[in-house]
Amino acid sequence: MSRFRMGLTLRIVAVLGVLGIAVFPLYWMFVTALSSDADLFAGEARLLPDFSQFGVFADALAEGEVVGWLRNSLVIAAGTTLLSIGLGIPLGYALSRFSFRGKVVMTVVLLLTQMLPEALMVVPLFALFNRFDLLDSLIGLVLANSAFVLPIVALILKGAIDAIPRELEEAGRVDGARPLTMLVRINVPLIAPSIAAAAVISFFHAWNEFVFAVTFIYAPEMQPASVGIAGFIGEVGTPVQTVMAVAFLFTLPAVAFYLFAQKYVVAGMTAGAVKG
Amino acid sequence: MRKPRVRRATVAAATVVGLVAVVSAGCGSDDSGSGSASDGGGVTTLTFAASTFGDPGRGPQLEEWLEQFNASQDEIRVEAASVPYPTFGQTVLTQMGGGEGPDLVRFDMPEFEAASDAGLIAPLDDLIDAGEYELLEQPDRFMVHDDVRHGIIFEASNYAMFYNADLIPEPPTTYEDFFAIAQSLTSGDTFGLAFRQTEAEEAGVWQDIFNYVYGFGGAWSDGEDLTINAPENLEGLQAYKDLYDANVIPRGADAATFRRMFAEGKVAMELNNGGYATHLLAESPDLNFSVAPIPFPERSQGAILAPIVINEASEAKEEAATFITWALEPENQTSLQEILGASSVATATERTPESLQELPFLPTFDELTESSLPQVVLGFEAQTPDIRKIVVQNVIAALQGQVDLQTALDDAQEQATELVG
Repeated sequence: MSRFRMGLTLRIVAVLGVLGIAVFPLYWMFVTALSSDADLFAGEARLLPDFSQFGVFADALAEGEVVGWLRNSLVIAAGTTLLSIGLGIPLGYALSRFSFRGKVVMTVVLLLTQMLPEALMVVPLFALFNRFDLLDSLIGLVLANSAFVLPIVALILKGAIDAIPRELEEAGRVDGARPLTMLVRINVPLIAPSIAAAAVISFFHAWNEFVFAVTFIYAPEMQPASVGIAGFIGEVGTPVQTVMAVAFLFTLPAVAFYLFAQKYVVAGMTAGAVKG
Repeated sequence: MRKPRVRRATVAAATVVGLVAVVSAGCGSDDSGSGSASDGGGVTTLTFAASTFGDPGRGPQLEEWLEQFNASQDEIRVEAASVPYPTFGQTVLTQMGGGEGPDLVRFDMPEFEAASDAGLIAPLDDLIDAGEYELLEQPDRFMVHDDVRHGIIFEASNYAMFYNADLIPEPPTTYEDFFAIAQSLTSGDTFGLAFRQTEAEEAGVWQDIFNYVYGFGGAWSDGEDLTINAPENLEGLQAYKDLYDANVIPRGADAATFRRMFAEGKVAMELNNGGYATHLLAESPDLNFSVAPIPFPERSQGAILAPIVINEASEAKEEAATFITWALEPENQTSLQEILGASSVATATERTPESLQELPFLPTFDELTESSLPQVVLGFEAQTPDIRKIVVQNVIAALQGQVDLQTALDDAQEQATELVG
């Protein structure tokens, strides 16, 4: 075998290996959902799905709750992403471009908020939300999740804006641009890849969030999918196949969003690489 | 070059507006908050939170039972709120502590005691005339604190040994037989026994080790002082650890997994409560299983006592009491008993011939009622969740070989004593 063909084979194997690692958990969920109990605990694991068990998906969707959970999750994740990006861009810009008293302390505090576990914040937030009538409300969850994810979004965007030469803004200032215009017209297009990355982080955080959702939402029809799936875990039993089927469906929108956003991350990385 | 930029901006704006619309629409469907609500027609809607509603074996039947109540009423409606079992106590206690939460709650004992001690549960004496009913004495005595009634038994379920009758024709009657059978049936992907052994299942591990401690004559306290490191406890927990060390259990498997394995004949024995029997029958009607008392030296074991309580923060306590009163009516107790199967309800009910034919081991469970204890630390009931955490952490450290069992229990004793003052 020539050195070229051997190198190509190795690269293909490596790509397939990485792809396998990334896709296998999803595939395994699918296979488990389509396995009988006997298959699940047989000596040798089933590697291919048993499509005769496909009814588990139909049953999960037929009850209607799952679609409602996914819709609620989508609302919470989309709302959190919009709000955290909407607030994170000006906050990141301010931290990057303006000098003000306590800026360093504020940045450190923002970093510190990432070290607080959600469980620690759930009780004070509950009391606060109760007072402002935000319990059992998707808006409440959007606010709670945004508060949690906003610091990391702001810090990511601050880092991205830091990397943009100030000369670009100075040129804009000469042309009469105001700070907001410079943010929107100069910085935002240039940090688009970072915005996309931050959006992915926000979306994923809100999509998977459980602790706030399980505590702040009472009405079953308002539950997001993360809580709905956990509801299958009973005191004496758990329908593993149903959990896997719903978890598989739960994963798909997040994967779809990631693929959508990833396109912008990659496009942004190469933007301007070649002089036109 | 300008045209595409405008189009992109338009698309972006439309996307943002669309998403905002979706968010608004979704948020707009939110309800009128937690707890009770009265709609325009004067119907008060109560929420009843219980992790059991999510149980595929019994949940749907319990919801039908609630519908029977709703059908009997014009002004009150009870809706099931299924809170996930693993976080049930933490979630509901947080909600109740914040002056919110469901109107009716089916608690497990440790959380019931904690909530009762914190004043989160409405006293029932003025709402329900408990003297009117023949309540089961042994489990019911744990519903009253300092002469104040805080709960009514919703379900009382004794622990016993479940075994696969195809694999074990004669159930063991001593711990030595139990150990030997567990060893002899462990082979390949089949295990002689299963129990919980990970910190992620703290409440479940506590339920499991409770049987070993009490079954070997131990106790977590003498009613006044903690006795976590007492010799009898060490003996019981050593028996638990010996089984773990003997590799007769599927290590790392959680309860959901090993119970499925039991249903598939891959696990021969497990200690569980009566509630599990109905679940097994519903999930695996062809499984040939039976039940016997736990074969430990002492006939003393845990019981799942699940009281139904009224949230002190509920705005509809009287309506909630109406539901409990309805539940205590003999015919409704019988219906509930039929749903719960091998568990008992608040009052003594007659087992029907059909039930006995379907679950011939029901008398085994019923006979255990007098020797069963709720899984709380007597005398320290309200602190049980915290003591449980300490004990489970230390016992698991010993299981994993980080420390010897005696030291683990000594550490647990010291930490828990410091905790309770």
